[in-house]
Amino acid sequence: MNPPTGRLLTTGNAMSAKAALDAGCRFFAGYPITPASQIFGAMTATLPSMGGLAVSAPDEISALALCIGASLRGVPSMTATSGPGWCLMVECFGYALMTETPVVVAVVQRLGPSTGAATQGAQGDIALVSGATSGAYTFPIFAPSTAAECYADTLRAFEWAERLRTPVVVLSDKEVASTAEVVELGGLPQASGAVRTAWGGGEGFRTYGWEQEADVPPFAPVGGEQVVTVTGSAHDRAGLLKKNDPETLANLRHLQAKIDAVEAEIGLVDTDIPEGADTLVLSYGVSARASRDAVAQARREGMRVGFANVRTLFPVPRTALGHALRGIDTVVLPEENHSGQYRQALGDVLACIDVRPVNRIGAAIKPSEILDALR
Amino acid sequence: MPSAEAMVAPCSMPYCKGCSHGLVVRALGAALEATGLPREQLCLVSDIGCVGLIDRLFPTVHTVHALHGRSTAFASGIAMADGVLFDGALKTVVVIGDGGATIGLLHLVAAAQLNVDVTVIVHNNHLYGMTGGQASGLTPEDWITATTPVGNPLPPLDLVGVLRSSGATFLAREMAMNRGLADRLGEAIAHPGFAVVEVMELCTAFGVPLNSLNGKKLKLLAEQTGEPLGMRALDAGRPSFRAAWKDKHPRSGAGPQWPETPSTGALSLDRPLRFVVAGTAGERVQSAATLLARTAVAGGLFATQKKDNPVTQGTGFSVSELILSPEPIHYTGIPHPDAVVAASQVGWDYLVRTGVAARLDEQSLIVADEGIDLGAWGEGAVRLPLRARVRADGAALAALGWLAARLDVLPLNRLIDTAERAWGDKAGRSVAALQWGFEAGG
Repeated sequence: MNPPTGRLLTTGNAMSAKAALDAGCRFFAGYPITPASQIFGAMTATLPSMGGLAVSAPDEISALALCIGASLRGVPSMTATSGPGWCLMVECFGYALMTETPVVVAVVQRLGPSTGAATQGAQGDIALVSGATSGAYTFPIFAPSTAAECYADTLRAFEWAERLRTPVVVLSDKEVASTAEVVELGGLPQASGAVRTAWGGGEGFRTYGWEQEADVPPFAPVGGEQVVTVTGSAHDRAGLLKKNDPETLANLRHLQAKIDAVEAEIGLVDTDIPEGADTLVLSYGVSARASRDAVAQARREGMRVGFANVRTLFPVPRTALGHALRGIDTVVLPEENHSGQYRQALGDVLACIDVRPVNRIGAAIKPSEILDALR
Repeated sequence: MPSAEAMVAPCSMPYCKGCSHGLVVRALGAALEATGLPREQLCLVSDIGCVGLIDRLFPTVHTVHALHGRSTAFASGIAMADGVLFDGALKTVVVIGDGGATIGLLHLVAAAQLNVDVTVIVHNNHLYGMTGGQASGLTPEDWITATTPVGNPLPPLDLVGVLRSSGATFLAREMAMNRGLADRLGEAIAHPGFAVVEVMELCTAFGVPLNSLNGKKLKLLAEQTGEPLGMRALDAGRPSFRAAWKDKHPRSGAGPQWPETPSTGALSLDRPLRFVVAGTAGERVQSAATLLARTAVAGGLFATQKKDNPVTQGTGFSVSELILSPEPIHYTGIPHPDAVVAASQVGWDYLVRTGVAARLDEQSLIVADEGIDLGAWGEGAVRLPLRARVRADGAALAALGWLAARLDVLPLNRLIDTAERAWGDKAGRSVAALQWGFEAGG
């Protein structure tokens, strides 16, 4: 297939759905919620004719549970929701993490708490999403800031979910996901196809049969020739419930170790940092868009300012941020929430740096507000 | 019916002495053996609670130990995927207690509606055993449990009845002690759609001592509540999820390709233009703005379009924030619009309420229908008979046509091209509205 050319006026949600199809997603279960329903609609309109399944679930718990079931059968799966629906999905999300079942959840943020404002944007769910599991295990969370990045980051989400056998969240927001904008098709990454680490057959299979703690255990599907033992309870490598057992605890450490081991590779931070810059605007999602304008204006005013757009929020991209922060003594960090949720998550990454948060709720942060923090 | 021995591991049952779970395990083992299916075509999905200890007892088949109440939903996902994306050979059986059926009731209802190939065995011992004997939704009235010390005030849920009314195509209700249980489970598993078998059980840790229960009393109790004991209902006429899906969704292709993007030759613009288009939902405010955005994009320019509406979709205001630019657009907010379109009073009022109107300065154009009360903003506004001339659903489009001409943004022929490409034969009235507005602004 030739790479696409030309340009499109489209939305981040539409691009997420297209990326899921291109990545090989063949099962989608959804429950309607603004501002994520467009993904559900696009998958419903397209998957069946491709031989895939798109089904309506009676609630968000079911939506993710159905996806996990399909993924256990070996099918790349996805659901999409917003904050209130995510709250219901948390239980099953922990199960996917514990059972090492790949699944992609698109979470399109809207203003909370609770039902909040369905048609108003926010970046208020960083802590809610990243803190979803008991034990605070790390799983990949990607944050696109444009429709084109929604495509790229959804592709990445499937690739990493399948490769690491982990649930992955694509955390966009209302503005990024539902504002129509231009996508230059020639600039999009090519889908390489998400590949699950598969069991090759033979003797000695264990459902969670890693050798080193940071390894990803080879996957065998429910219904395949190799019989599997799946459980969300604390288990040994055979998948059997075992309490207070050294192997069980090692298996829990493994869940974190396999993510930590790929931090440098999975970490993606787009940077534009001129020589000699000592100030960096660091942002993500919708706030990265205003940041680009603010940085351009600051440079026109003679300031030497760098810009970093964090695409992999979690695992915290320490390696990439380490490079970006070399020589930087001031970081301006805009995010559309009231407490600086990602700033807090960065913790010691920003040690010894003068951090100037720019926070607000109710509307996207303006370039002028970021400029004020720069001046 | 073959014995369970070949299927069930020769370890001791992990249940209390006298617990009925062991009887169901043996019956299930015999039923699975009797299917004659290869082990890898059998999958047990277990819920949380004492029933969830089953995976160790069936080491030769696929087992999935699920979350409390969610077992049926996981099983449904497995069975849907197997049925449509594979050959549908897998038999998926859920073992769940009355507690799991209570918290996960909706998953059972949904599975019954879908008629997915899942068999649910409800181990009904009338209370939560593993957590200390608390009342569930299936606890009989007046029963003593840890949480109903003076008797359960609620009637028990008639689970089989609920699932019957949800469209379940196989329903049965049996005593755990019944010798025919294995056959009944076998029939349920063989059924190609959703099957539920409610099995009446004794919990010897709590149900028996607290309620002086024995097998005879349990049977009496079962006969007094819910659907008849020993019943079996089969609806073979309703297609399974797999059959219905395959019938309705013939595979037709490789899926969507990238849409062909028209390229109509370069348009030029010397600066970004930011418009706020406000009107009433259902009056084509968004599609009018999309038309300008598409025309600009086809001409090599950049555009963003942000929609705003109340939580309801078809009533109240509809606002579209439109930016057209020669350069890529990052920040999509419009603190200071170059122009505002007021196509209806509802739309204009929203702009006043949200402070957009207050941010307008002397450079901002207001293009409004002549019938709108603009209050303090009336002076200097461009008033057009939009709704009278091109009707309500052409008002936004005509106003944008006016702006396109007056600000020399986009040529009329390109706008008409876009309209005809988007709406084909139905573009006539839109083109007329555009033309009228464009000529008025030219």
